[in-house]
Amino acid sequence: MPKIERREFLKLVGAGSVGVGAGFMLRETIKHPPEYLIPHVVAPEDFSTGIATWYNTVCSMCSAGCGISVRTREGRAKKIEGNPNHPVSQGKLCGLGQSGLQVLYNPDRLTGPLQRTGARGGETFEQITWNEGLSRIADRLDLLRAAGRGNRICLLSQGVGGHLAQLFELFMAELGSERLLHYDYDHPHTLYAANRQFFGEEHLPYYDLKNTRYLLSFGADYLGNWISPVHHSLGFGHSRQGRPDIRGRFVQIEPRMSMSGAAADEWIAAKPGTEGVLALGLAHHLITQGYYQGADLDAWRQALRDYTTTQVAEQTGVATTTITRLANTFARSQPSLAIGGGIAANHSNGVDTLVAVNALNYLVGNLGKEGGLLFNPEPAGSVSHPRQASFRTMLELAKDAREGNIEVLILNGTNPAFTMPAAAGFTEALSEIPLIVSLSSFMDETTALADIILPSHTYLESWGDDFPEPGVGFPTGAVSQPVVSPLYNTRATGDIILTLAQHSGLSDAIPWDSMEDCLKDGWREIYERADEETRTESFEVFWRSMLKAGVWGEKSQRDQTFTLAEGVIDNIGVAPPEFSGSPDDYPFVLHPYISNSFHDGRGANLPWMQELPDTMTSVVYGSWVELNPVTAEGLGLKEGDLVDIESPHGRVRAPVYVYPAIMPDVVAMPIGQGHSTYGRYAKDRGVNPIEILSAQMEPHTGSLASSATRVKIVATGKRVELIKTGGTSRDLGREIVQRFDPTAQSKTGGAHSTQLNSIPITTVTT
Amino acid sequence: MNVSIVPALKVLRPAAVVGAVAFFGLFVGYWANALLVPGTSPEQPIAFSHKVHAGDNDIPCMYCHTQARRSISAGVPSVSKCMGCHIEIATEKPQIRKLTSYWDNKEPIPWIKVHDLPDFVHFTHKRHISAGIECQTCHGPVETMERITVTSRAIDGSFQLGTPWEMGLCLNCHKQNEVDNGTDCWTCHK
Repeated sequence: MPKIERREFLKLVGAGSVGVGAGFMLRETIKHPPEYLIPHVVAPEDFSTGIATWYNTVCSMCSAGCGISVRTREGRAKKIEGNPNHPVSQGKLCGLGQSGLQVLYNPDRLTGPLQRTGARGGETFEQITWNEGLSRIADRLDLLRAAGRGNRICLLSQGVGGHLAQLFELFMAELGSERLLHYDYDHPHTLYAANRQFFGEEHLPYYDLKNTRYLLSFGADYLGNWISPVHHSLGFGHSRQGRPDIRGRFVQIEPRMSMSGAAADEWIAAKPGTEGVLALGLAHHLITQGYYQGADLDAWRQALRDYTTTQVAEQTGVATTTITRLANTFARSQPSLAIGGGIAANHSNGVDTLVAVNALNYLVGNLGKEGGLLFNPEPAGSVSHPRQASFRTMLELAKDAREGNIEVLILNGTNPAFTMPAAAGFTEALSEIPLIVSLSSFMDETTALADIILPSHTYLESWGDDFPEPGVGFPTGAVSQPVVSPLYNTRATGDIILTLAQHSGLSDAIPWDSMEDCLKDGWREIYERADEETRTESFEVFWRSMLKAGVWGEKSQRDQTFTLAEGVIDNIGVAPPEFSGSPDDYPFVLHPYISNSFHDGRGANLPWMQELPDTMTSVVYGSWVELNPVTAEGLGLKEGDLVDIESPHGRVRAPVYVYPAIMPDVVAMPIGQGHSTYGRYAKDRGVNPIEILSAQMEPHTGSLASSATRVKIVATGKRVELIKTGGTSRDLGREIVQRFDPTAQSKTGGAHSTQLNSIPITTVTT
Repeated sequence: MNVSIVPALKVLRPAAVVGAVAFFGLFVGYWANALLVPGTSPEQPIAFSHKVHAGDNDIPCMYCHTQARRSISAGVPSVSKCMGCHIEIATEKPQIRKLTSYWDNKEPIPWIKVHDLPDFVHFTHKRHISAGIECQTCHGPVETMERITVTSRAIDGSFQLGTPWEMGLCLNCHKQNEVDNGTDCWTCHK
């Protein structure tokens, strides 16, 4: 044994100790950190750990008013589905509705009241308390009300219905202001106006897609985003596959193939803005071929004399044979239905076009008939439409603001700074308003200009109700209930208004303490209106059972008689559409369309929607401009080439997507991207085509003629890779698309190829 | 010129010895940690005794773990549940005083989780309870434990305290009881 010196020994002991210590700590660090089981202090009554609780409420992602069921666990919302009890959604839901969770859990939500510190639009805010914010606003409102200048207060909300809309009415009336406006970019003003002109009533009817045999859709993307897409999709499915022996046929007439166009049996491109002319061409054919035998036949004959098949074919670019074939099939396939909206209604002749579509339904007797157009009863509660501001109203508001007639602007969820064209000068006009208050849950473009932000709950945290429009044929409504406790220091819009009312001493007229009370009072009236047969033993029973079911409805139906409004037949006619910009300088018509994912831009802050491939192009995360292959070739452009889309009012830059299903002189761009703020997922992504639209209007309604701007395409020489999930649209010898020659059926080759795929998709005539 | 590394090695030898001792120490330290603080029976914020409750006083498991028969998780009783009895019983004992102070402050008791399955295992209590499996089958003789210890079961059925669960435990039982799709991957890993 070697002798170990003291020094050596100490060294070894030291090394050993360090080693042991390191080994000990090593195991300590790689240990699984302790997990905790945190019990409740008091067990909650409404859920059990590990067991899902479903709450029925109403979707607020668009204005259709689908009933939804939200799955919650341990007090957190986990999944949204359609409410099977609700007549609008019937257990189904669209992608945007599913993404409601990302509204609730969005990391860019405003978490508490803010007050502007820097220059307006600089997005510098400091946190304040609710009391500070509310009293600052209430003081101003009091001052204006006391001075009799209540009308200088404007409340600009997104489309809301039900008792919140009524509360807004009361509040503004008490303040002495008539400036209560709802503003949604895609509100179908023209559709309401056309129905008023034709039937004398300003409600949306029920379009019975479910039972129809033949649908002519003039520009309405009913499966994608038109007024109630989930309900229409249900109807479409039933019409196609739900009836033995009957398969509904669908024809889509629009210059750019939408999702509905792709799902249709036939897609017909009429020149932009001539859809109404085509409808009257069909009507003319119906008259001359004796399909219509009503007492007012002569009046119709007289009114439609200028819409002969040849004239219409010339104006619309649709072949005469197609016109006669469509008209014949439309008349013979009973019940049939014609609907119009979307791009066809967004022209200077939008209302005339939709009146013409109504006329088609009238002439073949589709009105008030199952499988056609059914009239809805009066909605059982408030709907948004009467307060919906048209583009013209918004311009007037901007003018009033510039002239200093607006002193307080209260914004609720609407984002006009994004959804108004730059040519309207709306954003500039806002700078003249001394106090802008926003109740938005997010820092959108308009909220960024606010002085005080009082963030409201999301719809999953607040009370509300909705009476769907278009209705479903019988009186119905649904209460929207909170499915989770509020995540942040926010308050429900209704509660904010109620607190302001209390501050201003308006409690006599607006007596409620909370939105829940207000709702209950309102629904008590509906309960008391109900007939004895459907009445439950007490209001509480009614209320609870309604919250559980998520919907309320009555059996009564409207009688389906109607009278043609006066002067309809004499005034029928569709003028040629007017476009802004000369065809020589601006050769293409810009068709900005509502995106299925982002709607009017509100969905752009939802990552699920950003990563969802666009239905038709499969592009994700960005903007693009759709060009016909012929147009692209003429301009020497390929997919991914960055181009400037230039209108007389500005330009935006986007990559080209070559899209075969668009007319060569039309270019299309999706709406929704191009936010300058609105959270990390939306900001600085893509471009907003609304920006470059001209302030062209439909004269009857004053709604924006959003498809009436001409543009030119200027190549920039730059390229980007378009991010999309789809590969090539070519067959590339993969025999995905079977071709056969119908004239060569008897030959073995022809017969063989039809056997490969019993549904011939492309027919090649030799 | 001849170059030898031997002189250099000679110089390094003491350092090598030191290194070897330190390396050996590493294992000793690791082992000591496993022996002294195995983490299989962590000390809880309140020294709750399952022996007293489930053993001596014979309180059924599901009197407190009410969710086991209905939910994927067995559930930890709320503080109010504890207080339901201890507002009267043994109120002067130090551990119960601790409980009372949690209750008075309306704070939850931060129990440390002992039995744990990885997140990639889908396990539901409800199914096992409704199949008539005793709690002890997996959790060991809880009614004898002063402090809950990780317990596993060998193939002969004997309990092995301090051994965490492994997949074999599940599979053995599923095989013995001939569970439908009991050995299918997707039954648990979904």
